[in-house]
Amino acid sequence: MIEDDVYRSSSQFRLWSFTEASLKSLRATTNSVASDRVRAALRRAQDARRSANSSTTGTPAPGSDAESKATEEKAIDCLTPEEEQQVVDYYSEQIIQLGENYKPPLPTIVRATAIQYLRRFYLTNSPMTYHPKQIMPCALFLATKTDNYYLSLRQFTEGVPGQTSAEDIIAPEFLVMQSLRFTFDVRHPFRGLEGGVMELRAISQGQGQPAPHLPGQTPEDLRRGILSISPTSASATAINDRISRAHHATREILKTAAQITDAYFLYTPSQIWLSAFLIADRPLAEFYLDTKLGGPITSQQEGNPLYALRTKLLLTLNNCSTILQAYKPLASDDIRMKTLKRIIGKKLYHCQNPEKANLAGQKRIPAAAAAAAAAAAGESGTSESEMERLAKKRKLERGNDPNDLFGGELVMQRTKDKQLEGEGQQ
Amino acid sequence: MPPARDVMAHRGDDDEVCPVCKSSRYLNPDMRFLINPECYHKMCESCVDRIFSSGPANCPVAGCHKTLRKNRFRKQTFEDINVEREVDIRRRVMQVLNRREEEFDSKRAYDDFLEQREEIIANLVHGTDVAKTESDLQRYASENMRSIRANQALEAQEASSFREQQTQEQELARLRREAARQEYENERKELLAGREDVLSRLAAGRPGDAAAIAREGQKVLLKKSSARRSEEDRIRQKQAALRNSDARKGQGPLTTADRADDSGASSLIKGLKKIKTPEPEKPYDPFDGLVPNQRDYYTLRDHYPNSYLDPIRQDTRMQAGGYDLQEYYSRTLMEAFAGLGCFLDEEVSKRDITNTSNVSRPVATEGAALAAVSSAGAPEGSS
Repeated sequence: MIEDDVYRSSSQFRLWSFTEASLKSLRATTNSVASDRVRAALRRAQDARRSANSSTTGTPAPGSDAESKATEEKAIDCLTPEEEQQVVDYYSEQIIQLGENYKPPLPTIVRATAIQYLRRFYLTNSPMTYHPKQIMPCALFLATKTDNYYLSLRQFTEGVPGQTSAEDIIAPEFLVMQSLRFTFDVRHPFRGLEGGVMELRAISQGQGQPAPHLPGQTPEDLRRGILSISPTSASATAINDRISRAHHATREILKTAAQITDAYFLYTPSQIWLSAFLIADRPLAEFYLDTKLGGPITSQQEGNPLYALRTKLLLTLNNCSTILQAYKPLASDDIRMKTLKRIIGKKLYHCQNPEKANLAGQKRIPAAAAAAAAAAAGESGTSESEMERLAKKRKLERGNDPNDLFGGELVMQRTKDKQLEGEGQQ
Repeated sequence: MPPARDVMAHRGDDDEVCPVCKSSRYLNPDMRFLINPECYHKMCESCVDRIFSSGPANCPVAGCHKTLRKNRFRKQTFEDINVEREVDIRRRVMQVLNRREEEFDSKRAYDDFLEQREEIIANLVHGTDVAKTESDLQRYASENMRSIRANQALEAQEASSFREQQTQEQELARLRREAARQEYENERKELLAGREDVLSRLAAGRPGDAAAIAREGQKVLLKKSSARRSEEDRIRQKQAALRNSDARKGQGPLTTADRADDSGASSLIKGLKKIKTPEPEKPYDPFDGLVPNQRDYYTLRDHYPNSYLDPIRQDTRMQAGGYDLQEYYSRTLMEAFAGLGCFLDEEVSKRDITNTSNVSRPVATEGAALAAVSSAGAPEGSS
């Protein structure tokens, strides 16, 4: 099918599609790596504090040492992958809420993109390393840009509650982009839903087109078919209302359940919207699928490729519907909300990586470090201007050497800079 | 006396007398004998003129009632009339059955064909089954007219190119000989000149230097001859390279000789290769089989009823900017079905398996994340 090949060329298919098993293993690896780093970082921080203490007090009391050891053991109690998942889900919902803060509210598609950015980000990063509270507004801001919904950073900052500065919001931007592997294209099911509803409307008004593989269909057949869906509708307006209702219900599911679950990683957008449509109005959705893939399954259709596709597709759609239906908003679930706030929140507070807390201070550093690393490796990919800029900056910082009347050697300057950079890297 | 010589002598005697008019060479020293491949009876030139000038007539030899024409008379090539006849028959048959080895499936098939041809020739020579053989040959000739023609053309081409090559080689050999002669001449001249030089110097120089001058002269000669030799080598190599390239050029057209088709697999010859006619070239397809605007899940309409979009169709402000609702229709429907048949659980696991051979995907992703982490964390660690 040509449409499928079109989707296969997308970055969403190539980089951000998983099986359930691979998704789980990826999260587990991310979690274990992050836990190790957090433990190491906390230990370093504690060592530093202890040495500072001992230098001020002079004679360390043996009792306090043991005490700090004990607190350390207690503190290094990291989140499990499931807990991390809950944290990410919570902040995904927060993005929806945050979108409401603006006047007019941010479009659904922007919020959906932001949620997907957040979820993709936390596939390879752990909330213990980067707190979602910092990443979430950045993801949303990035989404306004990639989805062509212009907001200035100042305007955007006004909508973010709390004492968040513009600097704070864009601080992790490069980090987020890097973790997204610079693939900003998110294929949403929303427009697909519009297309499907549009076609159903056309069918109900007797303007249906036969599917390419089923040339026997006539507009009149299709119209009669849609009118005879159980419960049968008397008139075109009745069926139109029904389509509108299904459309609305599906949209609600896509806005919430499809976003907060792993549906985007496990299914393609067209499968997601059809699954949601199945939940909203099963007979209507099945009728629509039949118009595309041939009527109900009969035994003579064995071996027909459309028949095989239909069976497999129904199975997939049902699986996807199950995932979508299993979703319950966290806010409505008091018990889960409580565990999240009390236990997981506390745990996250304690096992937050202290070395990554201040993102704003190191805003430009990833780029500079990447450039320097590339230069050290002798890669030609580094832009000359970037090198130039860094070298100039360093020179300014160093100030002019008073002993050197005419400055350093011209030819050696560049290489020396590079070496210095390399050392700065180590 | 051995019988062979006797026969020779006898034949020699035969040669001298025309079997038709009985005039002998003794009376007519310019007498020439002619034969007609129809019956191979020998007669003198004046008899041919006399009998056949006024048109076709019967052979004057008693018992032979063949009708002969004057223009078919020719000189005898071989002394033995039987050999003459066999050569004629062979030439005729070979002209018809002129299949080439590359036209056969196997060496075996070609050998069978050669044997069959010999058999036909033998039949015709010895007069067994002549009528049937002749009719077979006739039929084959008419059925395979085109391939016979093509093979004849090929043969002619081969022969001409062979001749050409032969003359070229001869020319080259002549040039080589010329060069060798020239070289010898030069050498001799130089030798003489060297000797002259040494002599004159000896005459001019002091007696004590004689040995030194002689030695020097010898050395100069040696040096000259070795320089000449290396020069010759160089020229020779160049010529050899030239010859090779010429030979290669000469072989070119033969290998690409076209093969005429003969659809009727002849019943006479077995084991011929099936000749496939190459498929006619298809017209150029810029999309390589992809039909633009072809879809598998839906057929696009020009218009879809939609209360929200319909006003746009009439709105000049929208239309003026070039906004086309058709774009919206095609995009939404494309997105509605793009990836419907992609079953990620299967395709992704398949992809992961192929990827694990170098670096597994999760590790790669993690690597990127780690790079991000370490690059962000490094400056803090160093400060």
